[in-house]
Amino acid sequence: MSDDSVPLALPLPRLAAGSAEVTALYRELHTPLLRYLVCLGLTSDEAQDVVQDAFLSLQRHLASDGDHENIRGWLFRVAHNLARNRQTSYHRRFGETLDGEKDFLAEDATPEQVVLEKEKLQRFAAAIQLLTKSERECLLLRAGGLRYREIGEVLGIATSTVGDMVERAIKKLAEKCNV
Amino acid sequence: MCDVQAKLVAWVDRELTPDEAGAVERHVEECHECRRWVATYERVSQTFDAYCDAVMAAKTPRRARWVPVIAGALIAATVVCLAFLRARVVPPAVIGPTAAIASAPVPGPPPVAEPILHKSMIRRRNPALHVRELATQEQPMDASIEIAIPAEAIFPPGAMPDGVNFIADLRIGPDGSVKQVRLRQ
Repeated sequence: MSDDSVPLALPLPRLAAGSAEVTALYRELHTPLLRYLVCLGLTSDEAQDVVQDAFLSLQRHLASDGDHENIRGWLFRVAHNLARNRQTSYHRRFGETLDGEKDFLAEDATPEQVVLEKEKLQRFAAAIQLLTKSERECLLLRAGGLRYREIGEVLGIATSTVGDMVERAIKKLAEKCNV
Repeated sequence: MCDVQAKLVAWVDRELTPDEAGAVERHVEECHECRRWVATYERVSQTFDAYCDAVMAAKTPRRARWVPVIAGALIAATVVCLAFLRARVVPPAVIGPTAAIASAPVPGPPPVAEPILHKSMIRRRNPALHVRELATQEQPMDASIEIAIPAEAIFPPGAMPDGVNFIADLRIGPDGSVKQVRLRQ
């Protein structure tokens, strides 16, 4: 398995604190980071706070001439650790009953389509509960666009382990819910 | 079961080396079962994405749907306030001096400390000017109103980060007209 079979989506050779590149990075990663944190179990407000703190940390990191390699993975790692520090809310909400799934259906969706989509997502939510914590986190980071190597850096595990976990998790979900 | 099946997820995720990816691709083109698995894994990935979006939508306050309503209500409230202020600054009608003085609320010290004016002193004052002055004194000279306006009400969706609000400072003149409008974040 290769570590760098596809180049990173954000080639950032040199970043300066407060530069236009950091602003572009904020615009690109703000929503994926929020989604990752909310799916981890943080509330919307907590996730907003963590994203702000992560970008403040990035500013300090760049101002102190820190490592500029793989900034995206660095940001996800910082956000992940900040979220882990909020253990009171972490772990408790991912997979709760959904109320917002209608937002993802077309405006002209029929009531039958709405019901079917809701049932599908609720089956999926039940299947996600059967995954281990590490498998869920791997899938979440993968859904955030991270490569296996970056996921390994965020979670502190080997790239090959990430590959195994992602494969196992996808197969479990495929078996449990007939999507 | 094909040996290649263990690499299918990594192949879908483009995580294999070029040599491995080439071998898996050639196999998938020929193997119906592996093609079926690849389609299943892609559907699972898409459903996981949709699920994450649904979780985020379910936990995010649905402020956007109320923005037009809130903005409309704020505008209506402002218009009503301005109309009210303007109505209170109507110049006094031509009325008798005594009635005008009696009806005008005269702010002042307690009755005990009020100086006793002789009738001649009262007559020297121009009643119409006095009433106009009192009416003007009732109004704050530089009343100001702050209106919070969410960024979504001004800019198209996605143009500003979530949670950004602006505050419009309106300075209202004595005649009820808007003297100054200043937008700040």
